[in-house]
Amino acid sequence: MIVKFCLFAFLALIPLHSMAQEFTVDQQDKSFSEPKLTIKVGDKVHFKNSDPFFHNVFSLSDAKTFDLGSYPQGQHRTITFTRPGRIHVECAIHPQMKMTIEVKE
Amino acid sequence: MNISLPVFSIAGFFLLNMAASAGDPAVLDDRIKPVEYYKDVRGSIVFKTYCVLCHGTKADGKGRASKNYVPEPANLTVSTRSDDYKEKIIRKGGVGVGRSPFMPPWEQELTNEQIRDVVYYLKVINIKYLDKAKGL
Repeated sequence: MIVKFCLFAFLALIPLHSMAQEFTVDQQDKSFSEPKLTIKVGDKVHFKNSDPFFHNVFSLSDAKTFDLGSYPQGQHRTITFTRPGRIHVECAIHPQMKMTIEVKE
Repeated sequence: MNISLPVFSIAGFFLLNMAASAGDPAVLDDRIKPVEYYKDVRGSIVFKTYCVLCHGTKADGKGRASKNYVPEPANLTVSTRSDDYKEKIIRKGGVGVGRSPFMPPWEQELTNEQIRDVVYYLKVINIKYLDKAKGL
Protein backbone atom coordinates (compact mmCIF):
# COMPACT_ATOMS: atom_id res chain seq x y z
CA MET A 1 0.00 0.00 0.00
CA ILE A 2 2.80 2.38 0.98
CA VAL A 3 4.74 1.49 -2.14
CA LYS A 4 1.71 2.20 -4.31
CA PHE A 5 1.16 5.54 -2.58
CA CYS A 6 4.79 6.57 -3.07
CA LEU A 7 4.64 5.57 -6.72
CA PHE A 8 1.46 7.57 -7.21
CA ALA A 9 2.96 10.60 -5.50
CA PHE A 10 6.11 10.34 -7.61
CA LEU A 11 4.14 10.06 -10.84
CA ALA A 12 1.95 12.94 -9.80
CA LEU A 13 4.99 15.19 -9.33
CA ILE A 14 6.50 14.50 -12.74
CA PRO A 15 4.00 16.56 -14.76
CA LEU A 16 4.37 19.49 -12.34
CA HIS A 17 8.12 19.45 -12.72
CA SER A 18 7.97 19.22 -16.47
CA MET A 19 5.61 22.18 -16.58
CA ALA A 20 8.25 24.53 -15.17
CA GLN A 21 9.74 26.70 -17.90
CA GLU A 22 13.06 28.43 -18.30
CA PHE A 23 13.53 31.96 -19.56
CA THR A 24 16.62 33.92 -20.49
CA VAL A 25 16.98 37.64 -19.94
CA ASP A 26 19.94 39.20 -21.68
CA GLN A 27 21.91 42.08 -20.24
CA GLN A 28 23.19 44.07 -23.18
CA ASP A 29 24.00 47.73 -23.79
CA LYS A 30 23.35 48.39 -20.11
CA SER A 31 19.73 47.25 -20.27
CA PHE A 32 17.69 44.12 -19.67
CA SER A 33 16.39 42.56 -22.88
CA GLU A 34 12.92 42.23 -21.33
CA PRO A 35 11.53 45.26 -19.54
CA LYS A 36 8.72 43.02 -18.26
CA LEU A 37 8.49 39.25 -18.05
CA THR A 38 5.51 37.17 -16.98
CA ILE A 39 6.25 33.69 -15.66
CA LYS A 40 4.68 31.07 -13.41
CA VAL A 41 5.64 29.82 -9.98
CA GLY A 42 8.46 27.31 -10.33
CA ASP A 43 9.87 28.85 -13.52
CA LYS A 44 13.56 29.64 -13.81
CA VAL A 45 15.10 32.79 -15.23
CA HIS A 46 18.66 32.92 -16.53
CA PHE A 47 20.27 36.35 -16.49
CA LYS A 48 22.99 36.41 -19.13
CA ASN A 49 25.65 39.09 -19.32
CA SER A 50 26.42 39.96 -22.95
CA ASP A 51 28.18 43.24 -22.21
CA PRO A 52 31.98 43.47 -22.09
CA PHE A 53 31.86 44.54 -18.46
CA PHE A 54 30.39 43.34 -15.18
CA HIS A 55 26.69 43.28 -14.42
CA ASN A 56 24.82 42.49 -11.24
CA VAL A 57 21.27 41.30 -10.64
CA PHE A 58 19.35 41.91 -7.45
CA SER A 59 15.87 42.55 -6.10
CA LEU A 60 14.57 43.98 -2.87
CA SER A 61 10.95 43.10 -3.60
CA ASP A 62 8.89 41.45 -0.86
CA ALA A 63 7.90 38.64 -3.22
CA LYS A 64 11.56 37.72 -3.78
CA THR A 65 14.65 39.30 -2.29
CA PHE A 66 17.91 38.18 -3.85
CA ASP A 67 21.32 39.22 -5.11
CA LEU A 68 22.94 37.07 -7.78
CA GLY A 69 26.22 38.92 -7.41
CA SER A 70 28.40 40.52 -10.08
CA TYR A 71 29.66 38.57 -13.08
CA PRO A 72 31.50 39.25 -16.35
CA GLN A 73 30.61 38.87 -20.03
CA GLY A 74 29.54 35.42 -21.14
CA GLN A 75 28.43 34.27 -17.71
CA HIS A 76 24.91 33.93 -16.42
CA ARG A 77 23.14 33.45 -13.12
CA THR A 78 19.92 31.51 -12.63
CA ILE A 79 17.13 31.92 -10.13
CA THR A 80 13.90 30.03 -9.53
CA PHE A 81 10.80 31.93 -8.52
CA THR A 82 8.82 30.00 -5.95
CA ARG A 83 6.20 32.53 -4.90
CA PRO A 84 3.71 34.61 -6.86
CA GLY A 85 4.10 38.37 -6.95
CA ARG A 86 5.71 41.28 -8.71
CA ILE A 87 9.49 41.46 -8.54
CA HIS A 88 11.47 44.55 -9.46
CA VAL A 89 14.89 43.53 -10.72
CA GLU A 90 17.85 45.92 -10.84
CA CYS A 91 21.58 46.02 -11.52
CA ALA A 92 23.63 47.45 -8.66
CA ILE A 93 26.40 48.58 -11.01
CA HIS A 94 24.11 50.34 -13.49
CA PRO A 95 21.31 52.04 -11.56
CA GLN A 96 19.39 52.82 -14.76
CA MET A 97 18.89 49.09 -15.47
CA LYS A 98 15.49 47.94 -14.25
CA MET A 99 12.92 45.30 -15.18
CA THR A 100 9.84 43.66 -13.67
CA ILE A 101 9.00 39.99 -13.35
CA GLU A 102 5.39 39.07 -12.75
CA VAL A 103 5.15 35.63 -11.16
CA LYS A 104 1.69 34.08 -11.48
CA GLU A 105 0.21 31.05 -9.70
CA MET B 1 24.92 116.71 -4.16
CA ASN B 2 25.28 115.75 -0.55
CA ILE B 3 23.85 112.30 -1.26
CA SER B 4 26.05 111.48 -4.27
CA LEU B 5 29.35 112.10 -2.46
CA PRO B 6 29.11 109.08 -0.11
CA VAL B 7 27.89 106.93 -3.01
CA PHE B 8 30.95 107.81 -5.09
CA SER B 9 33.18 107.26 -2.07
CA ILE B 10 31.83 103.76 -1.50
CA ALA B 11 32.06 102.88 -5.19
CA GLY B 12 35.60 104.21 -5.29
CA PHE B 13 36.53 102.12 -2.26
CA PHE B 14 35.37 98.91 -3.95
CA LEU B 15 37.05 99.82 -7.25
CA LEU B 16 40.33 100.44 -5.46
CA ASN B 17 40.03 97.14 -3.62
CA MET B 18 39.29 95.24 -6.83
CA ALA B 19 42.25 96.87 -8.55
CA ALA B 20 44.50 96.09 -5.61
CA SER B 21 43.45 92.44 -5.41
CA ALA B 22 43.67 91.89 -9.19
CA GLY B 23 47.40 91.47 -9.03
CA ASP B 24 47.45 89.46 -5.82
CA PRO B 25 47.88 85.74 -6.59
CA ALA B 26 46.49 84.71 -3.21
CA VAL B 27 43.22 86.50 -3.88
CA LEU B 28 43.01 85.05 -7.37
CA ASP B 29 43.60 81.52 -6.06
CA ASP B 30 40.78 81.98 -3.62
CA ARG B 31 38.36 83.19 -6.26
CA ILE B 32 39.21 80.81 -9.08
CA LYS B 33 39.36 77.38 -7.47
CA PRO B 34 41.48 74.76 -9.21
CA VAL B 35 39.66 71.73 -10.59
CA GLU B 36 41.08 69.60 -7.75
CA TYR B 37 39.22 71.76 -5.26
CA TYR B 38 35.89 70.26 -6.30
CA LYS B 39 36.87 66.59 -6.11
CA ASP B 40 34.90 66.06 -2.91
CA VAL B 41 31.79 67.40 -4.65
CA ARG B 42 32.41 65.16 -7.65
CA GLY B 43 33.13 62.26 -5.31
CA SER B 44 29.85 62.82 -3.51
CA ILE B 45 28.00 62.61 -6.83
CA VAL B 46 29.68 59.30 -7.64
CA PHE B 47 28.88 58.03 -4.15
CA LYS B 48 25.23 59.07 -4.34
CA THR B 49 24.86 57.45 -7.76
CA TYR B 50 26.59 54.11 -7.22
CA CYS B 51 27.30 53.46 -3.54
CA VAL B 52 24.22 54.55 -1.58
CA LEU B 53 22.31 51.41 -2.51
CA CYS B 54 24.37 49.43 0.00
CA HIS B 55 26.35 51.97 2.01
CA GLY B 56 23.46 54.43 2.50
CA THR B 57 23.17 58.16 1.98
CA LYS B 58 25.09 58.76 5.22
CA ALA B 59 27.75 56.19 4.26
CA ASP B 60 26.95 54.37 7.49
CA GLY B 61 26.31 51.01 5.80
CA LYS B 62 22.54 51.33 6.10
CA GLY B 63 21.55 51.48 2.43
CA ARG B 64 18.24 50.07 1.24
CA ALA B 65 19.93 46.84 0.09
CA SER B 66 21.99 46.37 3.24
CA LYS B 67 19.41 44.09 4.86
CA ASN B 68 20.30 41.44 2.26
CA TYR B 69 23.89 41.06 3.30
CA VAL B 70 25.84 39.34 6.02
CA PRO B 71 28.13 40.94 6.99
CA GLU B 72 26.42 44.29 6.48
CA PRO B 73 28.05 46.79 4.13
CA ALA B 74 30.82 48.77 5.81
CA ASN B 75 30.15 51.93 7.78
CA LEU B 76 32.50 54.15 5.80
CA THR B 77 32.36 57.05 8.24
CA VAL B 78 34.41 55.06 10.74
CA SER B 79 36.61 53.13 8.34
CA THR B 80 40.27 52.87 9.32
CA ARG B 81 41.35 51.57 5.91
CA SER B 82 43.88 53.51 3.83
CA ASP B 83 43.06 55.35 0.63
CA ASP B 84 45.01 52.72 -1.32
CA TYR B 85 42.93 49.94 0.20
CA LYS B 86 39.69 51.79 -0.56
CA GLU B 87 40.79 52.35 -4.14
CA LYS B 88 41.62 48.66 -4.50
CA ILE B 89 38.30 47.40 -3.15
CA ILE B 90 36.45 49.88 -5.35
CA ARG B 91 38.38 48.77 -8.42
CA LYS B 92 38.46 45.01 -7.78
CA GLY B 93 35.34 44.51 -5.68
CA GLY B 94 35.08 42.54 -2.46
CA VAL B 95 36.40 39.37 -4.11
CA GLY B 96 39.55 41.23 -5.14
CA VAL B 97 40.53 41.85 -1.52
CA GLY B 98 39.09 38.70 0.04
CA ARG B 99 35.97 40.32 1.39
CA SER B 100 32.22 40.25 0.59
CA PRO B 101 31.48 39.01 -2.93
CA PHE B 102 28.50 41.35 -2.97
CA MET B 103 30.73 44.41 -3.32
CA PRO B 104 30.96 44.76 -7.12
CA PRO B 105 34.16 45.64 -9.00
CA TRP B 106 33.80 49.19 -10.30
CA GLU B 107 36.91 49.70 -12.41
CA GLN B 108 35.07 49.04 -15.67
CA GLU B 109 32.23 51.38 -14.79
CA LEU B 110 33.99 54.33 -13.16
CA THR B 111 36.80 56.42 -14.61
CA ASN B 112 40.11 56.77 -12.77
CA GLU B 113 39.09 60.30 -11.84
CA GLN B 114 35.74 59.14 -10.45
CA ILE B 115 37.47 56.49 -8.34
CA ARG B 116 39.99 59.01 -6.99
CA ASP B 117 37.18 61.48 -6.31
CA VAL B 118 35.06 59.00 -4.38
CA VAL B 119 38.08 57.88 -2.35
CA TYR B 120 38.70 61.52 -1.48
CA TYR B 121 35.01 61.95 -0.59
CA LEU B 122 35.25 58.94 1.74
CA LYS B 123 38.20 60.63 3.41
CA VAL B 124 36.42 63.91 4.07
CA ILE B 125 33.29 62.26 5.51
CA ASN B 126 35.34 60.05 7.83
CA ILE B 127 34.80 60.88 11.51
CA LYS B 128 38.54 60.99 12.20
CA TYR B 129 39.06 63.50 9.38
CA LEU B 130 36.15 65.61 10.60
CA ASP B 131 37.44 65.55 14.19
CA LYS B 132 40.88 66.58 12.99
CA ALA B 133 39.36 69.41 10.96
CA LYS B 134 37.55 70.60 14.09
CA GLY B 135 40.76 70.40 16.09
CA LEU B 136 39.50 67.61 18.34
